[in-house]
Amino acid sequence: MTFSLRQMSIRTRFGLLALAPLLLLVTLLLFLPPDGVERAEWAQFIGRFHLLSIHFPIALILLVPVLEIAGRIRRFPDLRASVDFLLALATFSAIVALTLGWCLARSGGYSGSLVTQHMWGGIFVAALSWLCWMLHGRFLGQRLDFIYAFGLVVAVGLVSWTGYRGGQLSQGENHLTEHMPTVLRDWLRLPQEDKGPTAAASTSFFTICVEPVFAGHCNSCHGPSKQRSRLRLDSYEAVMRGGKHGVIVKAGNPQGSELFHRVTLPAGDDKFMPAEGKRPLSADEVKLLELWIAAGASPSLAADAIKGAPTNAVSTVADVTFEEIDTAAVEKRRAPLASAVAQLQKRFPDVLEYESRGSADLVVNVSLMGAKFGDKDMAALKPLAEQIVVADFSDTAITDGSAAFIAVMKRLRVLRLMHTQVTDTTLHMLGDLNQLESLNVFGTAVTPGALQVAARWPKLQHLYTGETKIPADVQVSEAVRGKLVF
Amino acid sequence: MSNSKIPDLHTTNGPCDGEPVREMHPEETFARLQAQTRRHFLRSLTAGVGTMFLGTLASQYGSSARAAELNLDGTRRLDFTRDPSRPLAALPPQFAARAKRIIYLHMAGAPSQLELFEYKPELTKLDGQDCPASFLLGKRFAFISGVPKLLGSQYPFHQAGKSGQWISDRLPHLEKHIDDLCIIKSMRTDQFNHAPAQLLVQTGNARLGYPSFGSWVIYGLGTENQNLPGFIVLLSGGKSPDGGKQLWGSGFLPSVYQGVQCRSHGEPVLYLQNPRGVSRSLRRSELDTIDKINQQTYAAFGNPETITRISQYEMAFRMQMDATDAMDIHKEPAAVLTNYGSKPGESSFANNCLVARRLAERGVRFIQLYHWGWDSHGSNAKEALNLGFADRCREVDQPIAALLADLKQRGMLEDTLVVWGGEFGRTSMRENRFGQVMQFVGRDHNPGAFTIWMAGGGIKPGTTYGETDAMGYEIVKDAVEIRDLHATMLYVLGFDYHKLNYSFQGLEQKLTSVKPARVVAEVLA
Repeated sequence: MTFSLRQMSIRTRFGLLALAPLLLLVTLLLFLPPDGVERAEWAQFIGRFHLLSIHFPIALILLVPVLEIAGRIRRFPDLRASVDFLLALATFSAIVALTLGWCLARSGGYSGSLVTQHMWGGIFVAALSWLCWMLHGRFLGQRLDFIYAFGLVVAVGLVSWTGYRGGQLSQGENHLTEHMPTVLRDWLRLPQEDKGPTAAASTSFFTICVEPVFAGHCNSCHGPSKQRSRLRLDSYEAVMRGGKHGVIVKAGNPQGSELFHRVTLPAGDDKFMPAEGKRPLSADEVKLLELWIAAGASPSLAADAIKGAPTNAVSTVADVTFEEIDTAAVEKRRAPLASAVAQLQKRFPDVLEYESRGSADLVVNVSLMGAKFGDKDMAALKPLAEQIVVADFSDTAITDGSAAFIAVMKRLRVLRLMHTQVTDTTLHMLGDLNQLESLNVFGTAVTPGALQVAARWPKLQHLYTGETKIPADVQVSEAVRGKLVF
Repeated sequence: MSNSKIPDLHTTNGPCDGEPVREMHPEETFARLQAQTRRHFLRSLTAGVGTMFLGTLASQYGSSARAAELNLDGTRRLDFTRDPSRPLAALPPQFAARAKRIIYLHMAGAPSQLELFEYKPELTKLDGQDCPASFLLGKRFAFISGVPKLLGSQYPFHQAGKSGQWISDRLPHLEKHIDDLCIIKSMRTDQFNHAPAQLLVQTGNARLGYPSFGSWVIYGLGTENQNLPGFIVLLSGGKSPDGGKQLWGSGFLPSVYQGVQCRSHGEPVLYLQNPRGVSRSLRRSELDTIDKINQQTYAAFGNPETITRISQYEMAFRMQMDATDAMDIHKEPAAVLTNYGSKPGESSFANNCLVARRLAERGVRFIQLYHWGWDSHGSNAKEALNLGFADRCREVDQPIAALLADLKQRGMLEDTLVVWGGEFGRTSMRENRFGQVMQFVGRDHNPGAFTIWMAGGGIKPGTTYGETDAMGYEIVKDAVEIRDLHATMLYVLGFDYHKLNYSFQGLEQKLTSVKPARVVAEVLA
């Protein structure tokens, strides 16, 4: 018997064509398995389409037995004719989905048995689909036709199992049983581990001692806003569910728990948590985690049930985080006044500046201009009055004549009038500045009479009254008294 | 003034992110292209593959010009470019700042924390005993050899203020402000010799060639007063710090950002005044002529450094008036001079503290004081804990207290960050140079633990952070590395320490260097 490509059917030729990528994928899997390392962004980006494309071959493979069975009914004899095409389509789409899946697994930081099983499952599904395609219709009525039928059944089973594993990878290990009704759970004899969102009692060791540790150190990356490695640590259920590397807490075994392991690595280790130079857990906080896991990682164990647990271990200070500046939004907020700001900056260099790169609020400091700045210059600030939050007029030539211009700066937090000619009159006119936190009248002629107005500033913290006509032992209300600085 | 002669470069005064960059001179374009490295190329190459799949990515990574505006981690770079004729122009901070200036009081030689802030009764009990072997294992000392004896504190301690923080009897004036101080007792360094340790504290790196803290700050924020340098250094104590002028050098940053050393007596800046026979108007016409030549040079070569040079000449001319005035403490009332304990005309820490206040009032961004003489080894009377050390305490105690009082009274402590500290700590053991009992009492260098304090803008007053063991020898809680301190100080000034960076030798160089730092949130108000 001689074989020649030309004599082969189109199906055989395409079949051989499909074999090449299949073998290549097997090689990739063997030599470049997923190893938990995150790689090129774009590979991850492409890889994510695995989740989209995978449903196509699944549906096609499940459709084949449906057509085979329905086609035997006399009413739909035509259905079976499309099986061949369907199998070809299923094989090729499975290969595409597999390739994307490998991209994701290899670059997305996956590792462990779950992803390995899922991947080999996928390979075998594609291989079975290919086999069924090759066998279909070739041995009609012979014994080999039984192999085709058997192959189909196995393929359907394997698709379901592989799909379930994939679901566990993306949705969590117990994604199917998580919300199973108790009755059904009892009947299936599944453990009653899952108690819904109220699992952790508010007086439990977990809530009082463990959760704050996560909140202080972990939830910025493993919480509602970010889920690095698809791990969340903001509820008991989430902690026990684990992330894409699997379960992180093994009840009763701290040393074997990934959670404990990661926070106790040497600080320089690549896998050390918290990563990226964030504040490490204190020795007491690590101890709390250890005790909790050793005691069975329970959601309900009472807070005082664990003897020798460090108290007040958890720092209440949150880590400092930095937000990216939304340039477009800032420009939009600055736009209405931008030209007025630019004009003023040109007229008085180094005097007017935005409070920060992310803000449209303004800071004014004319103190360095000294006597060159006076009441008549104040009008220039008028168009921007409501944007000014910090103003320093110290050492300038301004007098009470400027009070009206300052009074319209409704959002002032800090106002400095050191060494100026202002008097009580100015202060009385500023009573409506309800955002004022700090007022400086050091070295002015302000008298105790001006202090009545201080009660009108709800946010006031400091009133600098040194070298004024206000004596250090001035009689004022206790509320104002504590804010005076002499 | 010759500002009008400088070519208009279409610069806006207050750049913010994303603002169009002014037209570039060919020279500058060349410099920018040189800054484009293989990394940028490779990065845009890989990103390019991504763009084949999703067009929206193109707007983010599309061109290499955009790539230059991004940090290597993909976040947007802050733009610190300025009109070359105004290299020190003020720029807004990244986010709202808690402090706008820094007064850094560096006690060169490393003061003993065990005689000032670290109350260790256990150590006093064990005074004179052999030090445990674990203290010596794997440690390197400058002078200690063999098995030294433990040394209890030489001075009595007590709790002070509402905050009840411990302090010795050496700082009676500072004690009045203890409720304003945030004392960090868990500072740590990895350098045990003065020069590299000072460099680490001041430049974030123990080696030469890196910009000092002050240089980074005026690179990032500029300065409000264009008639004075933005970064001024004042020395006292009879000797310059061991780290030398590199401590206020600008490293790889443009040289306009280096610190200017001023003197508190005589001419504030050497050679600033006109020589005899040269009048101010003659100097003016001389500068005008030099400007003209420089303008021609700029027209021919287009190097922005030329414009910077012109502006520096102009600044020096203005400084002739303003610097002299700022440094002249004769103008202060007698009561103020008494408060500081300063005597005009001499070179003292007290005078420098008073000058520091005057500079702060005039909008100087970074004021750095060094007071030399804290290296209390006990090898002579000046270095003895019970003699020279006590003198040093007297020299700084009253002026620092007066400075804090003045800042507070003027409302300036709200937006001024005051930092006090040395470059490392001192051992819990008595120094035994060459294995012998020394005539005077002293301690060796201990990089493992030392104490600093901060006060003012953005800092939580009246707190103690960190803890050392019962001997005050090693940190047991909340260690703060130098880079953490830097990150915290930059945060107070309104910067994410990652973002205050400068491209040099293919790296985004920053003050905290390459190791991860953390902002010590616990000391922030």
